[in-house]
Amino acid sequence: MKLSETISPKRINLNLSATTRNGILEELVGLLQLKPPARKALLKTLQAREELGSTAVGNGIAIPHCRSLVVGEVLVAVGRSSRGISFRAPDKKRVRLFFLIVAPPLGDPGDYLITLGSVAQAARPLAEDKRLKAVTTPQQFIHLLEEIEE
Amino acid sequence: MNAQLQVLIALQDILLMIREAKDPTSKRAMGKMGFEMNNLKSLEATKSDLEGQLKPAIRSEYDRARRRYGRIVAPVINSICYGCFVKIPYAIDGADDRNKTLYRCENCGMFLYWVDK
Repeated sequence: MKLSETISPKRINLNLSATTRNGILEELVGLLQLKPPARKALLKTLQAREELGSTAVGNGIAIPHCRSLVVGEVLVAVGRSSRGISFRAPDKKRVRLFFLIVAPPLGDPGDYLITLGSVAQAARPLAEDKRLKAVTTPQQFIHLLEEIEE
Repeated sequence: MNAQLQVLIALQDILLMIREAKDPTSKRAMGKMGFEMNNLKSLEATKSDLEGQLKPAIRSEYDRARRRYGRIVAPVINSICYGCFVKIPYAIDGADDRNKTLYRCENCGMFLYWVDK
C-alpha cells in the first residue's frame, strides 16, 4: 500500500502552529474534519495512546495512531512543524513531521497494522530528504512522497 | 453528542487499546515499528476515571454489555447495527436526536453510535 495514494491534500498542514503535544494532536485531528463531539472523543483516545507510550519513533517523526469508533474508515493526516516540539522521542530529538492514523475498531486489525507499517516505512526517508524543507503545498508534499515511494 | 455516549465511546476505544497492548502479536508488531506500549497503568487509570463518570444505570448496562460482548457501543453504518448486523428501525435511525439521546439496539442491546459520513 502506498501512503501517497492514501493521503488527501486537505488532510495535510505543513505549518502546524501548536507548541505542545496536545496542541499538535488537536491540530492533526482538526484535519480529519469530524464533527466537534467526535473530534473531542478522538482527541481523548489519542491522548490516552500517548500516555501508554510515545508514538514518536525518532528522526523527528511521530505517528500518533489509534482505533476509534468515531471513524468509519482508515483516515490519515499529515502535519509539519517548522520549530519542532518535544514529543518524548526515543532519540530525544524534537519532532517536526507528524502522521496521524485513525482506523475503525471493526476493520481487520491487519489492515490497520499494514497502514501503520507503510507510514513508518515511508516516513523515515521522507524526513531525511533535503527537499522536504522546500515543500510548501500539500500537492508538492504528495508529489515528493510519490517519488520516495517509487 | 450525549455526554454519557461520549464517555462510553472513549471507554470502548481505551478497552480496545488495553486489549491490543496486552496482545503479544500486536505488541510485537508495534514494537517492530518502534512504538512503545509500556505504560498500561496510565490506561487502566484513565479507564477507571471514565467508568466513574457513568451514571449508575448506565454503568450496570456497561458492565453487562462488556461481560456479554466484550464491547459496549456498536457503530451504526448505513442503518445497520454493527454489533449484531441487524437493520435499525426507521423510527430510531431517522430520528433527529441520534447520538444526542442514548439509544440501544433493540436486538442486541448495545449502545448505538451513528458514525459520521
